[in-house]
Amino acid sequence: MNGLLRNNFYSSVPSAKFLAGAMLLSGAVVIILDNGTPALLIGYMLLGMVGFSISAFSGLQRENTAKWGKYKLTAPVRRKDIIGSYFICQLVWLAAGMLFAFTVMGLSMLLHGFPFDRREDILMVFVAGVSVSMFMGAFFFPLFYAGGSERNEVTLAVSLLCAVGLTLGIVRLLNIWFGPKMTARQVLTGAAVLAVCAAALFALSYFLTVAIFKKKEY
Amino acid sequence: MEHILELADVSKAFPQSEFVLDRLSFSLPYGAVMGVVGENGAGKTTTIGCILNTVAKDGGTIKLFGREMVDADTQIREKIGVVYDGENFPGYLTAEQLGHIMRGLYQGWDDALFKEYLGRFHLPAVQKIKTYSKGMTMKLAISAALSHRPQLLILDEATSGLDPVMRDEMLDVFLEFVQEEDHSVLFSSHITSDLEKIADYISFIHHGRLILSASKDDLIYKYAVLRCRESQFKALDPDDIIAFRRREFQTDVLVSDGKAAQRKYKDIVIDHVSVDEIMLLLVKGERK
Repeated sequence: MNGLLRNNFYSSVPSAKFLAGAMLLSGAVVIILDNGTPALLIGYMLLGMVGFSISAFSGLQRENTAKWGKYKLTAPVRRKDIIGSYFICQLVWLAAGMLFAFTVMGLSMLLHGFPFDRREDILMVFVAGVSVSMFMGAFFFPLFYAGGSERNEVTLAVSLLCAVGLTLGIVRLLNIWFGPKMTARQVLTGAAVLAVCAAALFALSYFLTVAIFKKKEY
Repeated sequence: MEHILELADVSKAFPQSEFVLDRLSFSLPYGAVMGVVGENGAGKTTTIGCILNTVAKDGGTIKLFGREMVDADTQIREKIGVVYDGENFPGYLTAEQLGHIMRGLYQGWDDALFKEYLGRFHLPAVQKIKTYSKGMTMKLAISAALSHRPQLLILDEATSGLDPVMRDEMLDVFLEFVQEEDHSVLFSSHITSDLEKIADYISFIHHGRLILSASKDDLIYKYAVLRCRESQFKALDPDDIIAFRRREFQTDVLVSDGKAAQRKYKDIVIDHVSVDEIMLLLVKGERK
């Protein structure tokens, strides 16, 4: 597993480096600008969490251009370990995105004060970002192996749209369930429901991807 | 005789291309080099895919080190080194990074040995693989395949596209590897001269079928080709004919025992036969 994780890191680091540069620059702008309307800060936080996850997917595409994908199957690793390493890699890059989001949010709050209506909103933004990212991974990995690497861009776009749609759908259902004025407890419950749904689909997707990958021939 | 690799009635069909690997059987003993030869699309890569489980066979058995390998048998794959034709590794890696990855994949990975191979083949460790020449890429693949000290080396067209000097250098490395008596090499190629240089056994595959498998010494020293006129060809015992090819003024006939044929057919010109000519007779000629 160690070798697989290292391989995934090497394959995704060029995109992540580029993204980190862009996030640093845009982060500086977000920090400098007044956060009276938090839309920019929220957008930055979501972008960071989702964007870094995409780095993991781009790495998968890059390494499939050589016979490396086939070669790895001849190494002493199981197919489920190969898939597991991609899921772990995505979580690692999501953590990197969260770190960017947290840092910029913290600095913005230090300079301009608290931008949200209540503390629970911060948690909700993080949970939304993590959920979109995990839903995206949950759709992307099985689609990538079922559809082939040549459809990578379409797979990525479909996965992102499905992830955003599913997150908005769950949020909408929660809003209907809890009513228009949610209490802090209800916000926390809603965040927990969203996070559990994302984690459950992510886990299910792992098993589905393993099942698809076990049937793939190279 | 103990075998490191045994294939029995291995079948695989690809319905879309109508290609079928048809009940392929052969065995590779410990300490030997087997060359698998055949034209492009004959089924060499599919056979290797079945052996390595990158392709799922439809039927038959494949035993590596005495047992069938499934996905969970990582200990068997520890003992196998693989080299594919072309780009084995992603171009954005350096040889050094590849070593780091391999160290995490193989328990028996030997960093010092890998560095020794990089030095021996003059491969820069910190240069991206995409900047390597084809020869350097293949040398790197061979270095990586040998640096976890495998017992079985499986080479799929590993020397194709290399110039003769580089091919010779690679073949020396394979011969060096097989000096250990428990080491074996399975080497698929359509460059028959390479096989003549290093193989102990040669198996010919054509249209997914094994059409001949014999020791190289038998092929070179026992097998022969009869140069027959039409009347002489008609007089041949059909049991003696393995394959024949009609040419403008003669018919070339492949036989498995040149000396016996010499005694039996005194007025026919009999020549030694090269692996290349055997392949041509088997593939382009008519077989019984």
